[in-house]
Amino acid sequence: MDLIPKHVIVSASDAKSIAKKFNTTLDKFPKILESDPQSKKIGAKAGDLIKIYRADPTGKYVYYRFVVKG
Amino acid sequence: MQAEFIDHIRFGVISPEEIKRISVAKLVIPDTYNEDGYPIDGGLVDQRLGVIDPGLKCKTCGGRAKTCPGHFGHIDLVRPVIHPEYAKIIYLLLQSTCYKCNRILLNDDQITAIKPVVSDLIVKEEELPEASAEHENDSMDLLKRIKNIKKCPHCGAEQPKIKLERPTFFYMNGERLKPDEILSWLSKISNDDLKLLGIDPTITRPEWFVLTALLVPPVNVRPSITLESGERSEDDLTHKLVDIMRINQRLEQDIDAGAPQIIIDDLWELLQYQVTTYFNNETPGVPVARHRSTRPLKTLVQRLKGKEGRLRYNLSGKRVNFSARTVIVSDPNLTVDQVGVPRKIAESLTIPINLTQWNFEDAKKYLESTEYPTVLNVITKEGIRKRVTDINREELLKEIQPGYVLERQLVDGDIVLMNRQPTLHRISIMAHNIKVLPGKVIRIHVSAAYPYNADYDGDEMNLHVPQSIEARAEAKFLMQPRDLILSPRDGKPVMFVEEDELSGLYHLTKEDSYYTKDEATLMLSEIGIYELPKPSKNGLYGGRDIFSLVLPKDLDFENKSKRGHVVIKNGRLVEGSVGKNEVGEGDGKLILKIFSDYGPRATRDFLFDMAKLSLRAAYTAGVTISIKDYYMDEAFNKAKDEMIKGVNSKVLDLYSKYKEGKIEPLPGYTKKETLELEVMAQLEEARSLSDNMLSKHLDNTNNAKLMVTIGARGNMLYLVAISMLLGQQAVRGRRTTRGYSGRVLPFFRKNDKNPEVKGFITSSFFSGLKPDELFMHAMGARDSAVVKYVAITQSGYLQRRLINAMQDFYIDENLAVKDANNSLIETIYGGDGVDPTKELENEKAKE
Repeated sequence: MDLIPKHVIVSASDAKSIAKKFNTTLDKFPKILESDPQSKKIGAKAGDLIKIYRADPTGKYVYYRFVVKG
Repeated sequence: MQAEFIDHIRFGVISPEEIKRISVAKLVIPDTYNEDGYPIDGGLVDQRLGVIDPGLKCKTCGGRAKTCPGHFGHIDLVRPVIHPEYAKIIYLLLQSTCYKCNRILLNDDQITAIKPVVSDLIVKEEELPEASAEHENDSMDLLKRIKNIKKCPHCGAEQPKIKLERPTFFYMNGERLKPDEILSWLSKISNDDLKLLGIDPTITRPEWFVLTALLVPPVNVRPSITLESGERSEDDLTHKLVDIMRINQRLEQDIDAGAPQIIIDDLWELLQYQVTTYFNNETPGVPVARHRSTRPLKTLVQRLKGKEGRLRYNLSGKRVNFSARTVIVSDPNLTVDQVGVPRKIAESLTIPINLTQWNFEDAKKYLESTEYPTVLNVITKEGIRKRVTDINREELLKEIQPGYVLERQLVDGDIVLMNRQPTLHRISIMAHNIKVLPGKVIRIHVSAAYPYNADYDGDEMNLHVPQSIEARAEAKFLMQPRDLILSPRDGKPVMFVEEDELSGLYHLTKEDSYYTKDEATLMLSEIGIYELPKPSKNGLYGGRDIFSLVLPKDLDFENKSKRGHVVIKNGRLVEGSVGKNEVGEGDGKLILKIFSDYGPRATRDFLFDMAKLSLRAAYTAGVTISIKDYYMDEAFNKAKDEMIKGVNSKVLDLYSKYKEGKIEPLPGYTKKETLELEVMAQLEEARSLSDNMLSKHLDNTNNAKLMVTIGARGNMLYLVAISMLLGQQAVRGRRTTRGYSGRVLPFFRKNDKNPEVKGFITSSFFSGLKPDELFMHAMGARDSAVVKYVAITQSGYLQRRLINAMQDFYIDENLAVKDANNSLIETIYGGDGVDPTKELENEKAKE
């Protein structure tokens, strides 16, 4: 089993529509540092949106985090 | 009420000119009242600042104590002092600007580079190109590095090292920078440079951080109190202001007299101290200013800060009208949706009726009445409140018309909010329909106690009467207990039956439970059922048949648990006795089933009927305990002594094994620690041995044991402690060890291996404790009391922080969690979007 759920970079156009879907802007999304091991691993840069496939005890769902500098 | 939206707020700093503009009096005399007790003109309670004594008139607005809002005055400081709360910003400004030419330490290129970024922070004047994220970061870095710039790019001056010695002393190259020097430096910084540093010069000039005039709050803010002896006692702020003025005056005299510089500097420093403590008497690095009685003075910051400060005490928490508080008592004759309210309370609390042409005649009847449900106040269209008396009633009856408001006493069926502190979760406040009852205390249904975490040993609860129709609607549709039966935590019921009701249910639904016609009739009449079920045998009525009458007619239910198999078919209990697993704390499967299949009202009625019926059954059965239930015979006590002997010898064996070095250490432990662990395990074993012995010895004719078995009250450990032995007492999870050298109490032998000397108690509450045992027991009891207290305070603080952090979260229409900033918290609530209170049993089974 993976200890960390899968992280994927979302394309810029998809990111825009996702932000729209949640009726907010990308900077209001949960944040993740550029220096986070997961960001580094997939090469995400500040301004990217990361899609995370989470599997919690309650169920499987998709989470998003917005990459910020640091 | 129409909500108003605030477009924006700008915070700035008050200027000396502004202070003088709003000031109605320049204060010059550092005193309050003269010998005649009359306010001194130009003193700190100058009548131009407003009046608080009744009878006097304000010299500014002419108002009286009640109408005059108070007016600000000011003190001119003869020498400027640093505002202690702004020292940090001053420090930043001194570091960022040149000491010689007072320009910002950036060259023109750098200035044009950062302009678009910082212009976002303050007022936008000119249209500038939008800053990219990267550009923004670079600019911020530049601003952070500005204090390291050694040479002024404008005049080429070498920059000195500026130091801030908290709270208000500045040094340049080791030499003291006096407030007047700082003042002139700051006032020479240009508006354009200030904008680059994030300060809006239209509302804040940096020289205003250095005080030349001090605003004096009106007397209404710092009222003096007159003691019984007629002596006046001034507010702490007034005392502090007197101190400031006294030093200010002395400084002025000394300067005029041409005193030596050292004396002037000393006084100046003292003035700075007084002003610093006037703002915040807990400023780090400054001695606390005290009252004559050595009590620290409560100055401006102290008024606002903390639990008892203005914010948390007066603004976040307010006292309210239309509320009541009494001791609570349980009453099974109410439903969970009701609350019993004493007549006295119902008579003094009111609810407003807005008169319209449609309700006019009905509402008028209340006003006509001279006794209980009557109108206490009439509010006219203009909002004037008139108290109704027997004298003016006729007059008011003629006067009222649509548009008036009548404040009527509470009557049965009015909705009120009940609350018990600590208000830990939403079901600590619920809405109940009132039932006016005789007596002096508020009554709630037994099953409503659990969500409030209430019992009846003196608990008090608060009652609030919602005044607006909006509030009443919210209470009615969202807050009634019947709609809150399922917990949002796990979807399990939070209202169920307990204790005596479970005992009664057991007797009612156990096998071979039969009642005579008289008993059955009496029982059922309690819940308004006047038709008996079919008699089973010899003209007797089966308990299960009687119970079945409170079940919905077509209910099918089955539950298997440790306590037995319960089957309900077509609304008839055909097998098993209904108990904790079906209707008690925990799963409450039968309640859950009824809630999901028949809804809130049916569940509320079921709880009501079941509680009453089962209590009646408990009375009929005579559920009681006596000393007999805890008395153990000679033979049993002998067996107990044998058991203890066995345990003791096992423990001694362990010690000798240890002495011979034959003990095998557990991973991560030393041999000595292993010994202690094994001894403790052995002594713990004594408890479970006792448990087994006692369980076998007692049967269900023993009511104490019966209550344990059916889960109505207590557990085996309680019975063991009462009838057999208390067992090992623990302090911090260890056997009691501290005390005298080699022993806990002075009359034990040193290094005794017997378990008794380390808190193993072989007596029971029934037999009574030996003196040393009592002492050991007290040690254990104190330890658990301390642990309990610490746990409560720590979890309380944690709770407060969580509530503050999450109070504005909400679930939006996509089931995503957001906050008031429209920030996304969770993409889907709980990871699955499930509301456990709405997810009913059948759907859950599908998963």
